[in-house]
Amino acid sequence: MTVLFGERELRAICDKALKASEGDSAEAVVVTRNAALTRFANAAIHQNVVSREAELRLRVVRGTRVATVTTDRLDDEGIRRAAKDASDLARSTPENPTFGGLPSDRGLRPAPSAYVERTAQATPLDRARAAKQLCDAARAASLTAAGYVSTSVQELAIASSLGVWAYAPATTSDAELAAIGDAGSAFAQRIALDFGALDVAGCAREAVEKAKAAQKPRDLAPGAHEVVLEPYAVRDIVSFLGGQLTGNSVEEGRSFVIGKLGTKVTGDITIVDDPFDPNGLPRAFDLEGQPSERVTLIEHGIARAVVYDSGTAYRTKQRNTGHALPANPFQPAAPMHLRLEPGDRTREQLIRDTKKGVLVTRFWYTRWVHQLRTIVTGMTRDGTFAIVDGEIAYPVKNFRFTQSYHDALGGTLGIGSELALLVPGEQFGLQVSSYRVPALRLASFNFTGATQY
Amino acid sequence: MLGSVERDLAHRALDTARSRGASYADVRFVRRAVEDAVVKNGHLDSVDRSEIFGFSVRAIADGAWGFAASPILTAAEADRVAALAVEVARASAITKREDARLAPVKPATATYTTPIEIDPWKMRFEDRVKLLIDADAAMKHAQPSLRTTRASYEIWREEKLFVSSEGADIAQTLYETGASIAAESVGDGEQQIRTYPGSGGRSQNTAGWEYALKWDFVQNAPRIADEAVALLTAKQCPQDIRTSIILSSNQLMLQCHESCGHPIELDRALGTEAAFAGTSFLTPDRLGSFRYGSEHVNIAIDSTRKGGLGTFGYDDEGVPASEGWAVKDGIFVGYLMSRETAAALGTVSNGTVRADGWSRLPMIRMTNVSVMPGSAGSLEDLIADTDDGIYMDTNRSWSIDDKRLNFQFGTQIGWEIKNGKRGAMLRNPTYTGITPEFWGSCDAVCSESEWTMWGTPNCGKGQPGQVGHTGHGAAPARFRNVQVGVVK
Repeated sequence: MTVLFGERELRAICDKALKASEGDSAEAVVVTRNAALTRFANAAIHQNVVSREAELRLRVVRGTRVATVTTDRLDDEGIRRAAKDASDLARSTPENPTFGGLPSDRGLRPAPSAYVERTAQATPLDRARAAKQLCDAARAASLTAAGYVSTSVQELAIASSLGVWAYAPATTSDAELAAIGDAGSAFAQRIALDFGALDVAGCAREAVEKAKAAQKPRDLAPGAHEVVLEPYAVRDIVSFLGGQLTGNSVEEGRSFVIGKLGTKVTGDITIVDDPFDPNGLPRAFDLEGQPSERVTLIEHGIARAVVYDSGTAYRTKQRNTGHALPANPFQPAAPMHLRLEPGDRTREQLIRDTKKGVLVTRFWYTRWVHQLRTIVTGMTRDGTFAIVDGEIAYPVKNFRFTQSYHDALGGTLGIGSELALLVPGEQFGLQVSSYRVPALRLASFNFTGATQY
Repeated sequence: MLGSVERDLAHRALDTARSRGASYADVRFVRRAVEDAVVKNGHLDSVDRSEIFGFSVRAIADGAWGFAASPILTAAEADRVAALAVEVARASAITKREDARLAPVKPATATYTTPIEIDPWKMRFEDRVKLLIDADAAMKHAQPSLRTTRASYEIWREEKLFVSSEGADIAQTLYETGASIAAESVGDGEQQIRTYPGSGGRSQNTAGWEYALKWDFVQNAPRIADEAVALLTAKQCPQDIRTSIILSSNQLMLQCHESCGHPIELDRALGTEAAFAGTSFLTPDRLGSFRYGSEHVNIAIDSTRKGGLGTFGYDDEGVPASEGWAVKDGIFVGYLMSRETAAALGTVSNGTVRADGWSRLPMIRMTNVSVMPGSAGSLEDLIADTDDGIYMDTNRSWSIDDKRLNFQFGTQIGWEIKNGKRGAMLRNPTYTGITPEFWGSCDAVCSESEWTMWGTPNCGKGQPGQVGHTGHGAAPARFRNVQVGVVK
């Protein structure tokens, strides 16, 4: 059974919605999802879900009055009702003189396909077998297993009365394993657009081998330590900083690059937003159907640019770079295809280069403490180790950290040569973002507390 | 309220699930209408109205669980989804170690509707928005230098129908209303925020528009605006000291949510959230004997209390709302449970399972987990009773480890307490601790008059992710010898 609506059907839905709308202009966004996630814990599948969803988000504009209505009734009557509701609501809203209008068609450059049919055809049994492979690997090492295997198929279609049309299907598959012993755990994850290429065995091997080494962690005093961060932890840093590299963050006074474009803000790292990266989750357009540009945000430590949606670009008199999220007043834009460019060191070399330090697998529950200074607090989790004389010496109990992320990157000592593809959970109802990041070696990371495990 | 059309489809899906071999199945229909509006810097920035409607089938077959969901409301789709749920369950069984078991519940036939005074869906849109425009204007009028002002509301109506193969048939209509204002200031290398009445998002209740009106936003807007600007030049909170702290009611509610509400989720304690949300230091062997906090600490689990975001007639497994204790006189005595986890513990569910809409699997979620009032009088009485310390108000930052032990919170604002009096304003206050040590240091909780039922409409849990709406009552409370100030 095909799981795609297909471009023609989504175009028809959008056209019906636009035609039924009464306003100066209108925009229709349709997201469809076929999501399946097989979750296991205590080395057995305990939650196993499949869902099919499709939503129309219709934005109607009258002068500078704007209203948005979302529905999952995609039959003629449902579309007509949503259009009427949005049109009526747009009549009732007050004028918003800061609204610059819907963007027009600007043409799209082709991007590599992010859709793999094999992923779309994965069955419940396929996912369960992959989950069993992860569970069995852990049990063979006298560990228990928790995690999931998922496949996702989504379509994104955007049309407007100003000529915008954009459509892209995408697939992802994901295997995640926390291998857990009596006194210590470790985490690994693999993501691929093609379920057939999903490295389940590699995921199992990484988590199980690390978990075996993670048992019986020792105390290590908090304080400023040199660190080697696995890509899972690096993704967190890139995600937090990426969220500040937007026109809206600058406009609202929250960004660490305010007044610093063209100056050094980190060590020698380069972060780009590359919607055309064939090894990422490529997509040529943003959530307003505008062409997404490849933007170098930080180049060898120098802040170069931030990204824009149409509204922020209009208000701040900047060029729209095509990075809109679904219109919202809190985070209207984001870099959605972030890549921290690779270095020349293998992970093993980064560890070998470290005389005394801490290897961190991943961060957990990270939250802003002070956005302008990019201070974040969080915990280490699932595999934290002391490095002594260039070797992983022993597991240590988890730390709390309170650290300025861009300051931490100021002490970049080494960059891994391999990039991991990581895709966070759904935002705004779809997998909107992806990251490709390496391991990093940083001179100092501020661990401000420890826990008992 | 959902009716015969959905009921007929539900019974058809149950029949299909049974015929495919399900030993248990339930069907949930959910129609959710939500309207969000935000006024930003004096203008209506967005109004977003949504209505989603679909159903799901949850089934046990071959002793394992399956779940499937769809927004297509036809007989053919009911058959397809039910058959798929059974197929998924059979796939789950390849890793099965023991059969899924459910604690018994008497199948109910019932209806429930949130009691409300003013139905926001029957108001004129213009009247709802006026509340925001007036509040936003009052902030900007008080402090024109504010970089950003925001005022927002959310209204919510969810109609649910639960039908099970055991004979349950429960229809509910739940209403929620939330609103808030925020003032953000920028200057001199600082960026500060004040929000009211709660932190970041909205404070929300199961209530009608009367809940938005009760906060008197226009009256409070100038104070919030003034504080946001004053924070730019306020004293930095002292660093690396141990002192007494008094937490505001709205901060204590989040402290309770994170360090009590989550660790009493029995699914976490049994390891079934281990890879993501984590586990819990409150393991079953500690039930009934572990000292969680001082004798002043009493934390209730109560899904019957008016207004709470965890207030309903029945949970999403058809278990009736209930009252009980998580912590009584400082001792850990109760979990949040599902039918399956309750069976593992040899007891019955206390009805705390909910799903985020029709497309997500029901799971244990906090209902109303509340710190019950003590006898310390008013907030001013408690400050007067404190020689030296810091009063911290309204959350700004929150983080806690995956067993819910090591936490660190920041609040938007603080004040020194010297000789029983509120002193200088403090910016960037933070405090950190270990959960049972922290609650063990609680020596006073304010009285009923200071107790407020707060709501957090943004609790994340599960894979795929779900957003839960949870209720937490709290009054200001004092904690001794707490580590304060960890921002370098």
